[in-house]
Amino acid sequence: KKDESTTSTDSTTKAVPKSQEGAAETPKQKLLSIIGNMKVEVTSKKKFQQLKTQEIKKQATDNLEGLDSGSGVLQKASADIQRSKPLNPELVEAAAAVASSLPHGKEQTESELLAQLRRHEETTDKQRRGGTINIRNVISEMAIKRQSPAQRGVRISSRISLQMDEDGQRMKPGGLSSHSLDSRRSLKAGRRLNIFAKATPETESALKTVSSPTIWDLEFAKEIAAVTEQPPRNGFEEMIQWTKEGILWEFPIDNEAGMDDDAEFHEHIFLEKHLKDFPKQGPIRHFMELVICGLSKNPYLSVKQKIEHIEWFQKYFEEKKEFLQEI
Amino acid sequence: AAVCWLAFRQVLPSPWASQARSYFVDWRMLRDVKRRKLAYEYADQRLRINAVRKNTILPRELQEVADKEIAALPRDSCPVRIRNRCVLTSRPRGVKRRWRLSRIVFRHFADHAQMSGIQRAMW
Repeated sequence: KKDESTTSTDSTTKAVPKSQEGAAETPKQKLLSIIGNMKVEVTSKKKFQQLKTQEIKKQATDNLEGLDSGSGVLQKASADIQRSKPLNPELVEAAAAVASSLPHGKEQTESELLAQLRRHEETTDKQRRGGTINIRNVISEMAIKRQSPAQRGVRISSRISLQMDEDGQRMKPGGLSSHSLDSRRSLKAGRRLNIFAKATPETESALKTVSSPTIWDLEFAKEIAAVTEQPPRNGFEEMIQWTKEGILWEFPIDNEAGMDDDAEFHEHIFLEKHLKDFPKQGPIRHFMELVICGLSKNPYLSVKQKIEHIEWFQKYFEEKKEFLQEI
Repeated sequence: AAVCWLAFRQVLPSPWASQARSYFVDWRMLRDVKRRKLAYEYADQRLRINAVRKNTILPRELQEVADKEIAALPRDSCPVRIRNRCVLTSRPRGVKRRWRLSRIVFRHFADHAQMSGIQRAMW
């Protein structure tokens, strides 16, 4: 616990001049500094102190007051804490009871609960006055992180790097730590921060009619595909490539692969309806009935092909009609 | 004459084949390829006309007319003229149908262990 307190004091001393720098520059810088501060492990009490300093900084800039020295700000912060509205005695008693009911760490839990209550009061006051900082909500939502001693050095160094970087672009260690943070907690958990404006839905693209791709588009797409494709790294990728090309069959074996016959069985077998245009008596009808019998037994042709056969015969006999009538 | 100096390279675009072969081993193989293509094109027509010809129900005059019609089709369109040649050497005889290779080529590949599932017989 002592280590934590020392590091937290270090962080506060570092945080305050940092906050001074941040407040003096663009609000983006302020944001960055706040986020940098959030990474440092602090108890709830220290965080509250930081919050107070941020608040005071903002008030100072709003009122166009000159920035005091770090010590002066700290004094102000402590004075402000003392001047804060005293909590409801009932709430204090309740907090004490809850803390006593919990198994261990009574004092710490009590102090944390009281800090939480104080924060609630502060937020309500702010809302009444109007113009709450959204970042306050952000910080209140943040859970207290436990930091391993090995990562502390990295964190502090990352914060220092954030200080040095003035363009607002994250340098490598900052980026790495952000990745590690994200991996532990999902990106979309927690309340929306409303830092970025919502992306406007693109209705225009939906209204645009998709024109048929030109030859140049197709060529371009082919070129990209040819450039980006890599030789297969292992046998599995080779087999995938072969399956896509069609060299390898898909497993489990699909007996109807490549067969797009959508017609039902009755369309294959009952072909008499195509014989409407033929004469109902005579050798031709006899012949066509045999043809239909043969076609119905053929599993290899599609319905279209069978209909084509029958239509060809129809045409053929129509052409030969005059010849047949001579006989 | 104009065809002779063209060497063996022929551009025969085949819409159905994914592998477009433009070099053939010799002219006989080329002619065989042409015959196969024509036979494919006229296969349905030949089948239908033959159905008219080879039956006892339709009048004989009609069948004679169908005879003349089928004779009028191009000579290379009949499937009987196709010869199963070796794919690599264009050898007309000694070709195993499963591999489409002549016996000499087959033996060559089998001995070099390039034929899948082929082993020298020993019993």
